[in-house]
Amino acid sequence: MENASNSASDESLVQQFKDGSRDAFDQLYHRHLPVVFKRVRYVIPENDVEDVTQEIFIAAMKSLPSFRGDSQFGTWLRTLTNHKVAEFYRKRARKQEPLVAPLTEASGKVDDHTPKSVEERIFMQKALNKLPDNYREIILLRFVEDLQFNEIAELLGQNLEATKSLYRRAITALQGSLEE
Amino acid sequence: MTPSQDSKHSDQDNRLADFTDRVLSGQADQAESNADPELRQLEETVLRLNRTLPQSSLSDADVKQMWVRLNARARREAHKEEVPFWKKWFLPNQVRPQFGMALGFVALLVLMAVVIPSFTTGNGSTIGTALTSSQGLATVLVLAGVILLIFWFMRRK
Repeated sequence: MENASNSASDESLVQQFKDGSRDAFDQLYHRHLPVVFKRVRYVIPENDVEDVTQEIFIAAMKSLPSFRGDSQFGTWLRTLTNHKVAEFYRKRARKQEPLVAPLTEASGKVDDHTPKSVEERIFMQKALNKLPDNYREIILLRFVEDLQFNEIAELLGQNLEATKSLYRRAITALQGSLEE
Repeated sequence: MTPSQDSKHSDQDNRLADFTDRVLSGQADQAESNADPELRQLEETVLRLNRTLPQSSLSDADVKQMWVRLNARARREAHKEEVPFWKKWFLPNQVRPQFGMALGFVALLVLMAVVIPSFTTGNGSTIGTALTSSQGLATVLVLAGVILLIFWFMRRK
């Protein structure tokens, strides 16, 4: 997806956006959309995935001028994504809507249309959402962002052993959540 | 935790991480740890997670359409958030404080100009002005007080 014209670093694009370049945000969007979309898709009902993804990028657009660059843009965007996902579930809880879309709604948009697979996906999302944040996060970092364990360790500021241990405990918790 | 449990978990940590790497790179599609039922269950959970959750990525066309829809929504939201002209004028701290205060003062004068003649008769002879009639004076003072209060609370927001 990337070519020579959009090989500028995130930090450089953020600065360009702050200086008024709309094109810089376009490049950031195209660079980060696949991961943001996939992350949202793992934890949000299918019908709301695009809506929440849009909210994330609109919030990014609004907040970027005050982004100080204390962390990497990707880390900042990941935090924003988690915040918007949490906000989605808070709003749903306030409206007392079910936490997942009805099966008939969800089945229209997923790749695999068999009711069993849709049901299984919804079940898995519920199990993931029940996990403590650090457990869910390490699973998403490995499965969604495709980061290797040493990269995750670096990102979390832990050693590799601690990261693998956290991962095993996260999978154990997921297994428990699926069995509930 | 005993040292043997510690060692067992450390071994499971490494084996589960390696297994996950193989699953995600397409080199494993079934549980491998027959000798360790606990680890086998964890491997099956990893397989189930990988099998269940969406794998397909966005096509270029999807990305373009989403970009168009995002821009349309951003424009709509920006339009919704535009500050109405009256707010720009009347919220002293927001845009132009001096102009807002001056406008408030003018509004007060206009109000007084409207209120004071209402205490005169139709033929022009004054039977009581706002400054001489106690009722008129009270009305003007109350109105002035209300306007000042409104400005005070708007200024503090």
